Amino acid sequence: MSSSRAKHKKSRPEAFPFTAMVGQEEMKLALILNVIDPSIGGVLVMGHRGTGKSTIVRALAEVLPSIERVQDDPYNRSADEFLAAERPRVGRRLMKAEEVDTESFPVPVVDLPLGATEDRVCGTIDIEQALTHGVKSFEPGLLAQANRGFLYIDEVNLLDDHLVDVLLDVAASGRNVVEREGISVRHPARFVLVGSGNPEEGELRPQLLDRFGLYARILTINDLDSRVEIVRRRRAFDDDPKAFFRRWSRKQRALQRKIVAARELLPGIQLPEDVLTDIARLCMQLDIDGHRGELTITRSAQAYAALQGDETVSRQHVRAVVGLALRHRLRKDPLETLDAGEKIERELARVFGEDPEG
Amino acid sequence: MLRFPEIVGMDLARQAMLMLAVDPALGGVALPAAVGSGKSTLARAFADLLPPDTPFVELPLNVTEDRLIGGIDLEATLASGERVVQRGLLAQAHGGVLYIDAINLLDAGAVTQVVDVLSRGEVLVEREGLSERHPAQFMLLGTWDPGDGEVRMGLLDRIGLIVPLAVQTRWQARREIVETVLAEARRNASPATTRQEGMEAALTLLREQLAEARKRLAEVELSEEQLRSLAATALALGVEGNRADVFAARAARAAAALAGRAEIGQQDLETAIKLVLMPRATRIPEREEAEPPAAQESAEAADEQASDEPATEESAANQDNPAEQAPEPDLEDVPEDLSEVPENLGPPDLLQDLLLEAEAFEMPDGILSVSLVRPARSRAGSRGEALNHRRGRFVRARPGAPREGRIALIPTLLAAAPWQDSRRTEATARGRLLRDGLMIRSEDLRIRQYRDKSGTLFVFLVDASGSMALNRMRQAKGAVASLLQNAYVHRDQVALIAFRGQRAEVLLPPSQSVDRAKRELDVLPTGGGTPLASALHQGLEVARQARSRGISQVTFILITDGRVNVALVQSRDPSAARPEKSVMEGEVAALAAATAAAGIAAVVVDTQAKYLGRGEAERLAAQLQGRYFYLPNARAEQIVEAALA
Repeated sequence: MSSSRAKHKKSRPEAFPFTAMVGQEEMKLALILNVIDPSIGGVLVMGHRGTGKSTIVRALAEVLPSIERVQDDPYNRSADEFLAAERPRVGRRLMKAEEVDTESFPVPVVDLPLGATEDRVCGTIDIEQALTHGVKSFEPGLLAQANRGFLYIDEVNLLDDHLVDVLLDVAASGRNVVEREGISVRHPARFVLVGSGNPEEGELRPQLLDRFGLYARILTINDLDSRVEIVRRRRAFDDDPKAFFRRWSRKQRALQRKIVAARELLPGIQLPEDVLTDIARLCMQLDIDGHRGELTITRSAQAYAALQGDETVSRQHVRAVVGLALRHRLRKDPLETLDAGEKIERELARVFGEDPEG
Repeated sequence: MLRFPEIVGMDLARQAMLMLAVDPALGGVALPAAVGSGKSTLARAFADLLPPDTPFVELPLNVTEDRLIGGIDLEATLASGERVVQRGLLAQAHGGVLYIDAINLLDAGAVTQVVDVLSRGEVLVEREGLSERHPAQFMLLGTWDPGDGEVRMGLLDRIGLIVPLAVQTRWQARREIVETVLAEARRNASPATTRQEGMEAALTLLREQLAEARKRLAEVELSEEQLRSLAATALALGVEGNRADVFAARAARAAAALAGRAEIGQQDLETAIKLVLMPRATRIPEREEAEPPAAQESAEAADEQASDEPATEESAANQDNPAEQAPEPDLEDVPEDLSEVPENLGPPDLLQDLLLEAEAFEMPDGILSVSLVRPARSRAGSRGEALNHRRGRFVRARPGAPREGRIALIPTLLAAAPWQDSRRTEATARGRLLRDGLMIRSEDLRIRQYRDKSGTLFVFLVDASGSMALNRMRQAKGAVASLLQNAYVHRDQVALIAFRGQRAEVLLPPSQSVDRAKRELDVLPTGGGTPLASALHQGLEVARQARSRGISQVTFILITDGRVNVALVQSRDPSAARPEKSVMEGEVAALAAATAAAGIAAVVVDTQAKYLGRGEAERLAAQLQGRYFYLPNARAEQIVEAALA
């Protein structure tokens, strides 16, 4: 492994606390739902510049729970995953799960900078090894680091097409396959993809758009009191980041506990038949292609119920997540003037048998 | 080279730089100005305000990605056999200044990198087998000539202070002020000092004042009301995002600290509004073009801190000015939004005055200096992909010599690595001197091959004149929307020019945003004359700018009935007499020929009802050597196909 990479991602003190961010509840909720259930499929955050998109994502690392992984494993694998993959290569006797050393490791949040080259994203030959010993050995890339964690791409709409292709491939299969320059490696790469950007700077490729489970909009906060509060908190943070962080640490821990509790609750959440029918009807009414819409709503509603501490998914839970799950899946009609959110609301009211006007 | 105290004029720009020197967290200064205004001289003189060994890195426009963010130092790596990392320019600017001249012409990829680094405060290097973090916190100075195109908003927004377009430098004032400063310095120093020594003394004085201002900064506090009034002003101006509020608060504090005030005064708020909020306004009646003039009062503020006069006089002068000059009739043009500001407060008053100032300001008309005919470019490598050795996506490495392209480091090393042992043995056997480093032979060298998608720009020229009846306008909008949809799938750029009344207007400069284009279309009003010549003229200008940024192919899509009735001369001067119809048609024919000569493809979508038409649009299409469609028949897909052909 390269010596230049820190083994553990240290929490950098200059990150603004997640809980101190004013407003932008939609985006925060979308991120938290993905922490509770990573299979929701990630979040795309699009909106105005200067609204704290990247600040919020980078602040997320501080409230994430820990996972168990094999000691120093560059792919963050659990003991079982490790055994399944490595078993054939261990001597005559098969190793048992107890024999594998594991460690508690904070859920990784890996930042993919736009200037990254493909070899660092997928991993490539260890150049030092090649230079000093003439040996070809594999050096894992960012996709390996992000396994079981978050992969964040700021300005994702400006990402080079060839990197988008790589991501689409890996996101679909959950595996990273490197077959180049004489090396052949495959390793698990399941991560929550988080992207952010300003739609005015460029559009996202439709295939990539479809990959994101949730789509959160982020808008300029237009409430005077909130705006004043933003400036005030920023000032306090800039003056003394550590003290500011201490002031918010209780809230940070409370949120972390809430997330952990929700994760424990999640497997037992009930999904009543009639709610499921409502979800399916809604997607039909809105003419949504494929079944990713239904699946995402269902998973998000369950995660939301868990977050609220409820054991059964209700219409109220569905309503809270349906915009996030469907906004980017509506068919694009060039002449449509109705906002996607309003359209979803209208259909939802119809499916729930409410009077849309009342 | 001129030193900072020698530079006169551009008062607001100097004020902004002094403020930045007091509080680097303001992020930077963006300075648009015409050619020859001395903007780059001023930017370079900014180094004078900082401690002597502060880094000052100038970013060349042709910077490569690895020089920008850093990478492997090839020579040292090959020589030593260990990887040697070279920090990029962004990391080298850490703790100092990054200066980009002609920042609007910076390659889109480089802009993205700069924005990324500004947002994280460090450089993340994840390339060519390297994984590194370098701190990169710097002040960004950007200068450009707005006649050459815009700076991407995502970048501009991260620069705290944006100086409104400066009026021409007052050259007469220059000598006076130089003399003043030197005389001042002479008074402070011994009578026999030379100009050089006088300058040093002036600089020392300035730096001391800045040091004091920096100390004072921590004590300067915005009151609750002042904070609210800044936020309310930002709201009234429709400033996007909440970052600007933070900058505005900082700017007000820096302005006060600079002027030696412990309390923030009205003039400091005003400075913050001028340098931070107004340039980001989305609701000024005259769109982005409305800029306040380089205001005298802040110039005084800047001068004042150099000559250390009390602040009271200046603020008194301040109160008088706007009230007297406010012309009554213009009040109607102040947008209604202003009256919707949630609370009472001082700022809207303040804002109204500033807005009136802005309206009184005339934009210099740069259009007249545009040369019409540009040499045609080759159309080789049309839409689609082409392999090359310079830019785009790195596809593969192939054997080759370094002069043919950029060396692909890893493949080169890989090619050499397996042979090291045998080469060493061979060399020893021949009794040659052995070096520690790697043995690379010319047959190992690999160069990079890239594939780039040559960018296409679609310029939509939409006729919004009175002759476009409402239902046809709706059809036209539908056609444009489908085209836009298609353009975005292919990641092309689109620009939107509307023409109605007196002249054409660029509603959307080249951008990848369909959202913005659609929004502009939705609110496009119709009515008035058909300034077709002006539209072609603007289109050529947009195309020229795009080409200077490396966009190889431009296509015009004209949606019009082709019935010109406003001449170019009228577009330039509304009071000009209307020339003969034949003159106008001549103009259109000449511009259309120029468009064709410039290698711009064209599609004309005729919106005229058939029984009324006299074939104007068809003729226009012929003059443009482009394709012709009759809107009621044309399906959007057909137009798309034609545009892409």
